Amino acid sequence: MSALLSMENLTGGYGDADILQDVSMHVAPDEIVAIVGPNGAGKSTAMKSVFGMLTIRGGRMLFDGDDITKWTPNRIVQRGICYVPQVDNIFREMSIHENLEMGGFLKKGDLSASYDRVYTLFPDLKERRKTLAGSLSGGQRQMVAMGRALMLDPKLLLLDEPTAGLSPKYMEQIFQICRDVRDTGVAILLVEQHAKQALAFADRGYVLAAGKNRHEGTGAELLADREVAEMFLGG
Amino acid sequence: MELFELLNFYVIPGIVLGSIYALGAVGITLIFAILRYAHLAHGDLATLGAFIALAVVTGLGVSPLVALPVAILATAAVAVGIDKVFYEHLRERPKIVTVMASLGIALMVRSVIQVVWGVDTETYSRGIVRPEDYFGLRIRDREIYTVVALIVLVGGLQLFLTRSKWGKAMRAMSDNPNLALLSGIDNKKVVMLTWVIAGGLCAASGFFLGLNTELKSMMGWYMLLPMFAAAILGGVGRVEGAVLGGLIVGIAEELSVLVIPSEYKAAMAFVILLFMLLVRPTGLLKGKVL
Repeated sequence: MSALLSMENLTGGYGDADILQDVSMHVAPDEIVAIVGPNGAGKSTAMKSVFGMLTIRGGRMLFDGDDITKWTPNRIVQRGICYVPQVDNIFREMSIHENLEMGGFLKKGDLSASYDRVYTLFPDLKERRKTLAGSLSGGQRQMVAMGRALMLDPKLLLLDEPTAGLSPKYMEQIFQICRDVRDTGVAILLVEQHAKQALAFADRGYVLAAGKNRHEGTGAELLADREVAEMFLGG
Repeated sequence: MELFELLNFYVIPGIVLGSIYALGAVGITLIFAILRYAHLAHGDLATLGAFIALAVVTGLGVSPLVALPVAILATAAVAVGIDKVFYEHLRERPKIVTVMASLGIALMVRSVIQVVWGVDTETYSRGIVRPEDYFGLRIRDREIYTVVALIVLVGGLQLFLTRSKWGKAMRAMSDNPNLALLSGIDNKKVVMLTWVIAGGLCAASGFFLGLNTELKSMMGWYMLLPMFAAAILGGVGRVEGAVLGGLIVGIAEELSVLVIPSEYKAAMAFVILLFMLLVRPTGLLKGKVL
C-alpha cells in the first residue's frame, strides 16, 4: 500500500541540537500508527517534525505526493494534517461549538457538514454544544480537542499523548474514538506513554530510543518482541 | 444627608466618571488579554481622541456628538499606526520592553498634543449647562450621553466578540494563543483589530471626560491609574469586568469626598488597586493574573 506520510531518514531538532537522528517512518491512509519509547526518546519531537515545528537538517518528509519538509505549520494545516497538542489543546473559555468553529477557521464557506461529522463521532458533545470547554472532564476535553482538529477534514491526525492523565476507562474510550475516526478515512499518528496499551490497540507501531528508530512492526509483533519488552516496556 | 442629595451630588457623577473609566479600562483589558502587556500610553491616547474631537468641533463648527465618531476612527487609526511603527518590532522581546516603550509613547503623544493644541484648558462648548430634573434626580444631557455611549459601545463589542468570526478569533487568541495559531488564526489581523477597538474606546473615554469636565493635555494621564484599577478590579481580560470595575472606581472616588478631602480623591483608585492585588489578584470576575 502506498504511504500517506513518509518520513525518510529525518535528522533534526530544535535550534542546533539534533534530537532526531536518521528516523524513518510511514503512515498508510487508513491506519493508526503509535510511536512509543522511553522518556526523552524523541517521540513528541518526531511527531512535531511532521508539523513543521523543528529544524530539519537531513532527510525529507513526503505527504500525499508533496515534499512538505520545509513547509510552515499553517500551510501544512491547509494541506490536510491537523495536530492535537498534549496539553492546552482546547479553548477553555469558549463553548464546545465555538471550539469547533475555531478549528474550522481556515475553511471558506459553510461549516455545517464538518459540524455534522464531528457531532456524529462525538454525540456527547452535540448535547452539550453550548457548554464551556474548560468545565468538561478530561476525556471530554480530549474529544473537543480532536473534534477541533477534525473540522478541517484532515487526512492525517497527529495526537500527542491523547490519554495522558486519563483513567483506564477514558483511555479505552479515547482509543475507541481513534478507531472510529480511522474508520471515517482519517489516518492517525499518535505518541503514547502507555506503551503496552497503545501497541495493543494501534495497527502498527514504532519504538524510538535516543532519537533513533529501534523497532518497527505491528502492535502484536512489537509486544511479542523480547527485546522491546525488556528495554522499553518494563518486562 | 438626604437620599437625593447623595444621589445627585455623588452617585450620579460617580456613574458618569465610572463610565468614562470603563471605556478606557475595556481597552486596557483587551490589550492585556491579546498582547499580554500593560499599555501605559492608554491615557494619553484618550487625550488625543478628546483633542481630535475638539479640532472637529472648532474647525467645522459641528456639535461635539458629531465629532465623536470622527475622533473614534482617527484615534483607532493612530493606535494601529503606533503598534505598527513601535510595538510590532518588540513582539518577540520580553513584555516589559513594550511596557516601557508604551511609557515613551505616552510622553510622545502628550508632547504632540501640547505642541498642537497648547497647554491651556479648553472646552467643547462654553456656558453653564443646567441639569434637568427627573423626579428629583438632577441629570445633565451630557451625562445621559456618556452612559448611553458606554452601553452602546460595550454592548456592540460584546456582540462582536460572541457572534462574529473575528470576534471569536480574538477570544481564541486571548484564551490559548498557541492553539489559535495551530488553527490557522491570523495573529496580525487579531492584533490590528484589538488596536482598532482599544483606540476607538480610548477616544470615546477622553471625549466624554472632556464633555463632562474640560480638556487639558494631562487629562488622560491622570485617568491611567483609575483605568488600570478598574481593569484589575474587574478581572484582567474580562470586558464586563472592566465595565463593572470602572463603575465601582468612579463611584468610590466620588463618594470618598464624603470622608476625605477632595484633593485626595484620586488616591481611591490606588487604594482599590492595592487592595485587589493583595486580596484577589484575579479580580471580581476571575481574570488573568498580572
